[in-house]
Amino acid sequence: MIIAGVDIGNNTTEIALAKIEDGKPRFLASGISRTTGIKGTPDNVVGIRLALEEAVKKAGLRLEEVKLLRLNEATPVIADVAMEAITETIITESTMIGHNPSTPGGVGLGVGITTPIFELPSKNPGEKVIAVVPKNVDYEDAARIINRALEKGVDVQGAIVQKDDGVLISNRLSKTIPIVDEVSLIEKVPLNMLACVEVAEQGFSIKTLSNPYGIASVFNLSPEETKNVVPIARALIGNRSAVVIKTPAGDVQERKIPAGSLKLKGENGSAVVDLEEGAEKVMKAVEQVWPLVDAEGTPSTNVGGLIARVKETMAELTSQNPKDIRIQDVLAVDTLVQQKVTGGIANEFFSEDAVAIGAMVKSSKLPMEKVAERVEKELGIPVEIAGVEANMAILGALTTPGTDVPVAVLDLGGGSTDAALMNRKGEVLSVHLAGAGEMVNMLIAAELGISDRQAVEDIKRYPVAKVESLFSIRLEDGTVRFFDKPLDPQTFARVCLLKEGNLIPLPAGLSMEKIREVRRSAKRKVFVTNAVRALSKVAPSGNIRLIDFVIMVGGSALDFEVPEMISDTLANYGIVAGRGNIRGTEGPRNAVATGLVLSGWGR
Amino acid sequence: MINTEVLVEEVVREVLKRLSAGKADSCCREPAEKAPEVPEGRELILEEVGPAQKGTKEDEVVIGLSPAFGVKFHENIVGVPLADILREIMAGIAEEGLRARVIRVTHTADVAFIAHAAAKLSGSGVGIGIQSRGTTVIHHKDLQPLNNLELFPQCPVLTLETYRAIGKNAARYAKGESPTPVPVMNDQMARPKYQAKAAVMHNFETQFVKPGTKPVELRVSFGKGGANR
Repeated sequence: MIIAGVDIGNNTTEIALAKIEDGKPRFLASGISRTTGIKGTPDNVVGIRLALEEAVKKAGLRLEEVKLLRLNEATPVIADVAMEAITETIITESTMIGHNPSTPGGVGLGVGITTPIFELPSKNPGEKVIAVVPKNVDYEDAARIINRALEKGVDVQGAIVQKDDGVLISNRLSKTIPIVDEVSLIEKVPLNMLACVEVAEQGFSIKTLSNPYGIASVFNLSPEETKNVVPIARALIGNRSAVVIKTPAGDVQERKIPAGSLKLKGENGSAVVDLEEGAEKVMKAVEQVWPLVDAEGTPSTNVGGLIARVKETMAELTSQNPKDIRIQDVLAVDTLVQQKVTGGIANEFFSEDAVAIGAMVKSSKLPMEKVAERVEKELGIPVEIAGVEANMAILGALTTPGTDVPVAVLDLGGGSTDAALMNRKGEVLSVHLAGAGEMVNMLIAAELGISDRQAVEDIKRYPVAKVESLFSIRLEDGTVRFFDKPLDPQTFARVCLLKEGNLIPLPAGLSMEKIREVRRSAKRKVFVTNAVRALSKVAPSGNIRLIDFVIMVGGSALDFEVPEMISDTLANYGIVAGRGNIRGTEGPRNAVATGLVLSGWGR
Repeated sequence: MINTEVLVEEVVREVLKRLSAGKADSCCREPAEKAPEVPEGRELILEEVGPAQKGTKEDEVVIGLSPAFGVKFHENIVGVPLADILREIMAGIAEEGLRARVIRVTHTADVAFIAHAAAKLSGSGVGIGIQSRGTTVIHHKDLQPLNNLELFPQCPVLTLETYRAIGKNAARYAKGESPTPVPVMNDQMARPKYQAKAAVMHNFETQFVKPGTKPVELRVSFGKGGANR
């Protein structure tokens, strides 16, 4: 008899095809397809059919020969993610925060009164000025006017330029002065005010304007005023050039957005955390009240909207009333989002703090019977609903060579991170946590400012390399690889993804180091955190050290670095952890489908 | 539907008619005499200083001019002075902290080959090719001649800001950075509107081609001030 185990996951539907001989299953082939529709709905049939056809074809059989389908009792958990900025930088005309032109001119620190370049000839010798050069002034004319003023004795200390002319003007001046260019909204630069322009040498960053006491010395500030310039100094750290202008009312504020607070109700009491306090505090509170019964946000605040949105999406998916949706787990992660600075004068962007939240919802039992009925009707094959997903995953994972009970299985999926532990008696304890592959995508997208979903998915899945010449690339580990034939000119000088032997160029302006750092930290923040969290919850008496073996399965276990990151961290707890190899052939995939076959016919 | 072929033919006929009228007018003048098409603004002075050598410094971008650039033509296809165009490209390179070297390519009028010849002589391996009508290519020595790093085929829509950005991008390629390709407008009407004029300009350009000649190094100066610092 030919039977098939069918695992409908959030993202993929997997099949394990086996022949029962003498009451024992012999595996023939596997099949995989994208899950069609939401998991646990009759729409899944299409995906099941595709995966089944693939497996049957591989085994050299016909669909009619399959006599039984064993369907998993899908865990009724669905996860969703959302993100909200919790700080906002507002400038009121005193500085250019986040403006860091790639080629400022000259070098040094200049302090003077902001003066339109046309008024330089009428200035008196000895007057300290900062020239403001709008775009209708050619660089040669600008240089000539400034040189004449310098000859006359006017102390031109620096310049603020609208066009990208900093170096061109600087090359033509008789004296080296700092020049900040590419100030697009130059008409907003307040005139006749005391200003300071600083440009650092190439490869260095500014020292005076990024230091609150530096600004205080330049502008003779009182201790009270110095306190107010801290956000300015902080925002300028790492810049190669900067301008700060002292205006009577000028101010920079880092405003905390009233993000609201999160009310966590658990079986062991409840807790309220202000989202402003960051992700760490939220996670601490979640642990305190664990197991979570529900979560709520303060109405009409960001977090309130965020939680409501998650619940609404869930309600829509499962056709329930949003009021009946209960949040079972929350994963909060600190992140940064690129936001345009309010009131900026050079179209500046600045990284604002944000909190990303993944939420896990338990709906009422998914209507698997309906799916089973539909499959029977459409495919004409009898269907059995068998076993809890976690147990099946363990049974399947145990087909990995070199494993035995007691063992824990970490299922790293797209929507959720699940853990299950089987003890010597064969009892299984399992947990489902919010936050997995999709949350990693969201963090990468936000921190790199990329909106193309496919690009984000690729960045997550493939390492980067920089095309250094048309015959060589530098890989992210610093090594160089050479090619015999010239590479595609589209990739020249670009940071590219190494996708299946091809080089996929990424948008310009992203450095290899930044991409790697963002990608790895997103994976660490989600998967490593969740691995430890999940294992602690299934570990005997909550002590993660009492677990000996961990098998990683699921789509995200295929990732080129996540399993290593988790292994590395778990090694600190004395745990042997590795990527599963189901049936010795399938890698970390197909665990549940394999388990479904095995659960019917012993091992 | 407008029959573009017919339209183009008509335009060609009209342009040729006017051109031949203009020719008849100017044929008796000395060729060295400054023709009336020399723009009034900045003057472009190109002095030949011997055969162009291969550069050894990595901080340079070589600009290759087409045979008739600044010789027969002083304005591009839409009347932008070539002096200003060359000055902006050179300024873009200088703003990035690199040096521009200018050569004239005389063995071909094809912009891809001009750019490739410039790239091969460039110490950084990056070169720019430009034709009298304004068509521009950023090239690299390791590429096939008909390949390119960035191509700007629609010369009528190129502005001085674009030329500045082209110089800047070429310099950034030379530095090994990853610039965003220069954004250019796309004008659907550019082709039908300027195809005839472009063909005529190219025809003149090819008349200045001397097969078998080597590129020549040029010293560039501008009538008002100079950008080659």
